[in-house]
Amino acid sequence: MRSPARDDISFAEIIQIVAGAQRWGVISENRIIPMNFELTPEQQTLQKAAIEFAGSELNSNVIERDARQIFSREGWQKCASFGVQGMPLPKEYGGRGAGPITTIAMMEGLGYGGSDQGLLFAINAHMWTCSIPLLKYGTPAQKEKYLPGLCDGRLIGANGASEPNAGSDIFSMQTRVTKDGSDYVLNGRKIFVTNAPVADLFVLYATVDPQLGAAGISGFVIEKGTAGLRTGERKDKMGLRTALMAEVVLENCRVPATALLGREGRGAEVFHYSMAWERACILATCLGTMRRQLERCINYARARTQFGQPIGKFQSVANRIVDMKLRYEAARLLIYKTGWLMQENKSADMDAAMAKLYVSESFVKSCLDAIQIHGGSGFMTELELEREMRDSVGSTLYSGTSEIQRNIIARGLRL
Amino acid sequence: MDEPEIKAAVKTYILNEYLPGEDPAALTDTTELMTTGILDSIAVLKVVTFLESHFGITLEPHEAVVENLNTLSAIARLVMSKKA
Ligand SMILES: Cc1cc2nc3c(=O)[nH]c(=O)nc-3n(C[C@H](O)[C@H](O)[C@H](O)COP(=O)(O)OP(=O)(O)OC[C@H]3O[C@@H](n4cnc5c(N)ncnc54)[C@H](O)[C@@H]3O)c2cc1C
Repeated sequence: MRSPARDDISFAEIIQIVAGAQRWGVISENRIIPMNFELTPEQQTLQKAAIEFAGSELNSNVIERDARQIFSREGWQKCASFGVQGMPLPKEYGGRGAGPITTIAMMEGLGYGGSDQGLLFAINAHMWTCSIPLLKYGTPAQKEKYLPGLCDGRLIGANGASEPNAGSDIFSMQTRVTKDGSDYVLNGRKIFVTNAPVADLFVLYATVDPQLGAAGISGFVIEKGTAGLRTGERKDKMGLRTALMAEVVLENCRVPATALLGREGRGAEVFHYSMAWERACILATCLGTMRRQLERCINYARARTQFGQPIGKFQSVANRIVDMKLRYEAARLLIYKTGWLMQENKSADMDAAMAKLYVSESFVKSCLDAIQIHGGSGFMTELELEREMRDSVGSTLYSGTSEIQRNIIARGLRL
Repeated sequence: MDEPEIKAAVKTYILNEYLPGEDPAALTDTTELMTTGILDSIAVLKVVTFLESHFGITLEPHEAVVENLNTLSAIARLVMSKKA
């Protein structure tokens, strides 16, 4: 950031500023190093490959699958073979060992090329709330056992935190865990569990005592088929319909001590860690979709004529597209900055909340703008804009609602 | 390590992590940390992790409560009792 403009700056002051900048590495060898906003050539190649892959492999029958709520296991497997699920995981577990920025770049490419937002959302849920916490908090045995399958597509992960009476106030959860010898026994009900109907592995949270709040919560990694764990009916929902969702019911679900994820009473930390990743990365696919929509709207506004001229010549149509462009560019900066902070191991809580808030709300607005620009056609299912709009709304709710993101930002500002 | 040293170490940690730029004098031994929202529930867990690694102690879930963690004085007492 520059200081307010002054025209009375002395030569001595300039020398002083340059010397300071050199000390801080902003200027080296009398050359100003600009801030670099470009992806590396490797990241650009990966993003391009992701666009082509998603465009050619993931877009078949999405309208029909959306209508009938069909999850594509085939698409899931293709993504795993491309390297999506394993992108941020170490090579020793079958991942690609990529950092957050590279992963975000790939996800943006998938969202640009691919129209099955549900499938991409399911993959996001799997990566950020199952694989990533396992990588950070799992024991060597848990990592050996699960991470290779979570990378190569054999295993689908899910995460159960939300409950009927604990949503935004997640640490007021009531699902109980009691110790019986070295085993743990879980009882309770988790709702809104993305992937539950197809999941092989569940990261679940329970409390030893609801009075303890965050300090009472422990995380567990529990396999499908474990006695006492049951998934409910598949839920019908407004958008992201190709990602399936159900409740998870725990009735005297007994698991050995090896199912504990992280330390006893430190589940809130595990949950917080996975949310930080999710907030930072989950909307990268939406960013790609925003870019695709923008380009689509520009092309349409140039081609569609009314009153003898392209509709883009009408200022109110052009302004709508200008706003879409601004939202996309600002959203992009926020997401990549958050990725950069995470890559540098810097605290990213507030930035991730800003990215989550801004991108999700911008995505909804841009989806509505895209429909408006396409007129009546935009309202028709075949153009796929109405589905994108339905898909977008969930982004302001999952991983913490917009209101909760605002609270996090306000707390970061110590308000 | 005695009580003033424990307080100083925890104070530095809290100032750096949760009150950057704040006047150190504003954080006294009796400033309420949890009940005023300086530390939210996740921050409390991070403080617990810091206490464990810095002072080589182990805390149980029922110990991460307001009575033990609301002020620098209470935290120092908790650490001292654990090290005793
Ligand atoms: C598509 C989708 C996928 C999901 N997947 C999963 C999943 O896989 N696993 C899982 O555990 N959960 C999942 N969820 C649940 C999601 O995390 C919750 O819906 C979300 O945290 C909000 O909780 P709630 O629905 O209970 O709403 P509530 O917390 O009841 O909130 C209701 C309203 O009150 C507002 N509000 C609440 N508290 C405050 C406050 N302190 N300040 C201001 N406003 C407030 C909220 O912002 C909201 O507008 C998913 C949700 C969706 C929509």
